[in-house]
Amino acid sequence: MKKKITFIVIVLIFAFLGYNYLYQEHRDIYNEYAQFSVLPNDILKEFKTNSSIAEGKYLNKTIEITGTVTEITETDITINNAVFCNLSTNLETKKIKINTKIIIKGRCIGYDDLLEIVKLDQCNLKK
Amino acid sequence: MKYSAIIIAFITLNTFAQTKYLTKTGVVNFEASVPSFEEVKANNKSVTAIINTENGEFASLALIKGFRFKNALMEEHFNENYAESDKYPKAIFKGQINDFTLKKITNKDTSFNIDGNLTFHGKTIEIKANKVSINIKNEILTISGNFLVKASDFDIDIPKIVKSKISENIKVIFNFSMLKK
Repeated sequence: MKKKITFIVIVLIFAFLGYNYLYQEHRDIYNEYAQFSVLPNDILKEFKTNSSIAEGKYLNKTIEITGTVTEITETDITINNAVFCNLSTNLETKKIKINTKIIIKGRCIGYDDLLEIVKLDQCNLKK
Repeated sequence: MKYSAIIIAFITLNTFAQTKYLTKTGVVNFEASVPSFEEVKANNKSVTAIINTENGEFASLALIKGFRFKNALMEEHFNENYAESDKYPKAIFKGQINDFTLKKITNKDTSFNIDGNLTFHGKTIEIKANKVSINIKNEILTISGNFLVKASDFDIDIPKIVKSKISENIKVIFNFSMLKK
């Protein structure tokens, strides 16, 4: 009897661990600390000079950008015409105006060499 | 003197500038689901696309890390084992829309054929005579369509144990709403 119970408990623990592994949560960029805090033109310059070095440094990392808003749409903000930030929620853009200074945190997804712009997603405003 | 030279350079550049429509927020989805298994589907909402409306030249760039899956583990596996997005961070399409003139385009979809090259995972494949629909509404030029590719086209190996759960034919759906620049 005792053996049976231990067996069931072990199976349940494995099922639980397995389920948690298969259906784990997405990264929560909003609550992650930024690994880098950079100016938009500096990060753009790094990607322009040597994109593979910059990719190794920034790809998939949470970074914080301080700059001036140059373009706004419903879902995203462009800073200093150098960094494009896709927002995690749509609502925030309503509070922001062009030419104001902001601090934004998001995940770097790479460098777009067609438009020469660095792209971030899952962005949230810090200020 | 220096400044006037720059100003003149800018003016001449502008007169020769071509008419372009572009977007930074194009949408590309792909799906490789097999019925009755968990869906294998991702969505990227920050794809760049540019069209030169003088000659129908078209280019698009998607950052691979921008593809989001519902399942976080699937997203991780896609990035690490299949697309290898640290090594190959982007997918690029460059091509030509045949017989393109802005005059043909109305607020209803018009069909065009596009030819071009798609580079992904370090491999380039040719896409020939693929149908695209184009319309223009309130100054927004929209290009949409889809195509099928195979994982093997891009040297992506799908391990045996998951082979039955991932379709060999991957459907890619795109929609670019572009503004004049």
